Amino acid sequence: MSSAAPAPYPASRRQFLRLGVAGGAAVVLSGTASAAWGRPPVPAAGERVRAYVLVVDGCRPDEITRTLTPRLAALRSGGTAFPAARSLPVMETIPNHVMMMTGARPDRTGVPANRIYDRAEGLQRDLDRPSDLVFPTILERLNAAGGTTGTVLSKEYLYGIFHGRATYQWEPAPLLPLTAHAPDTATMDALIAMVDSVDPDLVFTNLGDIDRLGHSDLSGTTLQAARTAALASTDEQIGRFVDHLTVTGRWDTSVVFVLADHSMDWSVPSNVISVDLILQQRPDLRSQLVIAQNGGADLLYWTGDMNSRDAALAEISALVRAHPGVLAVTAPADLRLGPAAGDLVATCRAGWRFSDPYVVSNPIPGNHGHPATEPIPFFIGGGSARVARGRVSSEPARTVDVAPTVGALFGLGEPDGGYDGIARTAAFSN
Amino acid sequence: MSPFTRRHLLRSASAAAVAGTAVGAVSTSAARAQAAPASPMFRHGVASGDPLPDGVLLWTRVSPTADALPGSGVGPDVTVKWEVATDATFRRVVARGSQATGAIRDHTVKVEPRGLKPATTYWYRFLVGRNISPAGRTRTAPALGASVERLRIGVVSCANLQAGWFSSYRHLAAAGDLDLVLHLGDYLYEYAPGEYQARDVVVRPHDPAAEMTELEHYRRRHAQYKQDADLQSLHAVAPFVVTWDDHESANDAWSGGAENHTEGAEGSWLQRRAAALQAYAEWMPVRYDAGGQLYRRLAFGSLASISMLDLRSYRDEQASSLTDPAIDSPERSITGGPQMDWLLDSLASQDTQWKLVGNPVMIAPIRFPSTLSTAEVGAMQTLLGTTTVDGVPYNVDQWDGYAADQSRVLGHLRDNAITDTVFLTGDIHSGWACDLPADPATYPLNGKSVGTELVCTSVTSDNLDDILDAPPRSASLAVEEAFKANNPHVKYLDFDSHGYSVLEVTPAGVRMDWYVLAERTDRNSPAALSQSWQVAAGTQKVVPAGGSA
Repeated sequence: MSSAAPAPYPASRRQFLRLGVAGGAAVVLSGTASAAWGRPPVPAAGERVRAYVLVVDGCRPDEITRTLTPRLAALRSGGTAFPAARSLPVMETIPNHVMMMTGARPDRTGVPANRIYDRAEGLQRDLDRPSDLVFPTILERLNAAGGTTGTVLSKEYLYGIFHGRATYQWEPAPLLPLTAHAPDTATMDALIAMVDSVDPDLVFTNLGDIDRLGHSDLSGTTLQAARTAALASTDEQIGRFVDHLTVTGRWDTSVVFVLADHSMDWSVPSNVISVDLILQQRPDLRSQLVIAQNGGADLLYWTGDMNSRDAALAEISALVRAHPGVLAVTAPADLRLGPAAGDLVATCRAGWRFSDPYVVSNPIPGNHGHPATEPIPFFIGGGSARVARGRVSSEPARTVDVAPTVGALFGLGEPDGGYDGIARTAAFSN
Repeated sequence: MSPFTRRHLLRSASAAAVAGTAVGAVSTSAARAQAAPASPMFRHGVASGDPLPDGVLLWTRVSPTADALPGSGVGPDVTVKWEVATDATFRRVVARGSQATGAIRDHTVKVEPRGLKPATTYWYRFLVGRNISPAGRTRTAPALGASVERLRIGVVSCANLQAGWFSSYRHLAAAGDLDLVLHLGDYLYEYAPGEYQARDVVVRPHDPAAEMTELEHYRRRHAQYKQDADLQSLHAVAPFVVTWDDHESANDAWSGGAENHTEGAEGSWLQRRAAALQAYAEWMPVRYDAGGQLYRRLAFGSLASISMLDLRSYRDEQASSLTDPAIDSPERSITGGPQMDWLLDSLASQDTQWKLVGNPVMIAPIRFPSTLSTAEVGAMQTLLGTTTVDGVPYNVDQWDGYAADQSRVLGHLRDNAITDTVFLTGDIHSGWACDLPADPATYPLNGKSVGTELVCTSVTSDNLDDILDAPPRSASLAVEEAFKANNPHVKYLDFDSHGYSVLEVTPAGVRMDWYVLAERTDRNSPAALSQSWQVAAGTQKVVPAGGSA
């Protein structure tokens, strides 16, 4: 099975702006053909609202504490927190960022996982192409309503799938070689530069360090230290952003959404599930099955005769379920994943991971995609009078609720067919 | 639990000093009734329970004639009217009706008005001819999914009338702001006078003066408890949500018997249990019909659900000893299969933030410490009614004795990352606050917890200092420290005190306050706040109230 070529971005007339930032580095932003540079947008009516959606990628809710992440904790306690918040299947980065910006589940967006088997092209690939996302985002809809938007996404594949949707966008750089993401310091440089220069109404930002250090540390013994350091560092960057909004006079009009796309679960080396290995006893089934591995979840695609599909899937399901590390084998429709997710979704128990198509394919201890990684931090703070202060809500906030909530903030209507998410207006003071 | 084995009880019975007579005790407590003396027609008070968003169950018992005594099977059929109002003076009645009762159901009445408004306080009363019952106050549950800022719940268990006065109920009634009262079992005890009391003093002897084994006994015993003024006062101010533990039938009950049941000499277990269940269904404000299903789930907006467990009706027999390999057998169950499936579904439900579980016996794994003195070990064995072995589960009547079910529940919480699950537990006559380790072996290193357990102490029933015959908070302290050292997920433990708890539930956290009585045998005993522990939302860990995650 071959991998896909790098994401082909559609040709478009985009403008570029190179900005100097502290430390001598440069940030390059691009904008749509009609984007204005250096001119703050004019508020539609009443007081201006600035919304910033900051995704602390892979952060667990219990990792935000007053001692380790004081700036995040202060944002949480100063606004409205949703302690029952959860990510949605598959608990991976791309589908949950897409759900945040669309307000729709994967069976409507076309984006159910990070990695899928593309039946049309006959290969496995990441869902990182703009054309993979078939539902309008809040970025595009706010633009259409006269607002301006920006994306500052630290991961290459996120830059890919959201390419061209915001008024302004930053292409992550420099990319770290092992993780294909820009460090949070660079991402925050870009966010601040974008706010200072073009000051969009809405900016969607992904901070990748916490997730990437959770994934990439292979030693196990230093995992906790690396994770702790990443949390502290990212917290500093959040604080830097809040301070910048304050000193530039923007804080009082800002609404800051902070959430994770998923959390993280760690497995010991022996707790590995390989569907490939499970099916070694049944080469007739294995030879007609493609496995797209997503950490804590495997997407299984039947490629054989359709007449034998149902019986084969029943057998595969029973064999995979029998593994002690497997939590569930589910039809994608039951998780609202749509046809791109294949024919079966297997998820693992806490402390386990999938490694496919080969048992050595996934050596990293930190994974997500399975239900153990559903709880996420989710809170809405900021200096705007719109933010309800010191509130904690029992509402079951989900990643898919971000777009409806941002839409409510800006007075946008619902997309065609409505949202799947719910506007969490409990976070607003009126 | 097993406060004493049956053999121990029989041995100690002759030594017990019986203070007063059953009749005297009842009339004394009746004299303490609320400010407005209850009509003789309604001498057993009024109660409400199992609140829903649009209704709440109402209960009373009528005494239409002098001979219509509880358990007698005598007395005429009666039509009882009922009213629900939004004010205490019943000027604004919003629902009314009538229901027939008679000797066939021991003259008890249960009605279920519907169409009420959610999260609303109501008053209710019953009428027979010119006789009007005391007014009860109750409150409906918030609407499903509604935002709820706070719930306050009284939490009690293990009220042995022979062992003292129900001051805990009086203090809870006086609190005045409870949304409901959670009674986790051992609402009454089966023992005869002298079989089980306050150390060796029978403060108030049971009626009838025999161990309850037949329907008449169970009905009379329920009636005796329902005439306690303190219990009446609490029933009259807040809805109860109840489950049973073992003493509603017999000590250490299981699906096919009980430790305190001798097949043949005390009839058949099936008949005895049927009698216990019938009396329970008649006399308790609970949505339960004899022979039906007691386990159920109540919801309180988006804030909390309460799953009430029945851990006696379906469980396999307790293991024979602490080292019995049956403890780990996946074939043995404390819940039974259907209740386990229901519980796992309830915990996985994402309709409410807090998943509270009304849990009759402890689920936290507890290992017996190896550092106790011979006397301490002996006292623990008496408290538990079993022998003990260092390093093994200390009580096989708890979830520890059904390790496969225990593991399944805790694994379910872990695998599905279910947050904000709190087991609320009684049974063990002591106060505990515990984390529920994701893995007991690694918990001391990583502190990972998948939920919490908060255990209220007994209203009156004996605990460790009583068995050691030591002053409270003296000899037990060393035992508590040994338990905590050997079980680091146990953060708080009080083996001595009697009292009650108040649970406050908010979106930000759960907090339990343990109140302890000065003296359970003093009918006017004051109570004082002893400990407060909290669980911040999303943490799955208990910390002292005021501490931080």
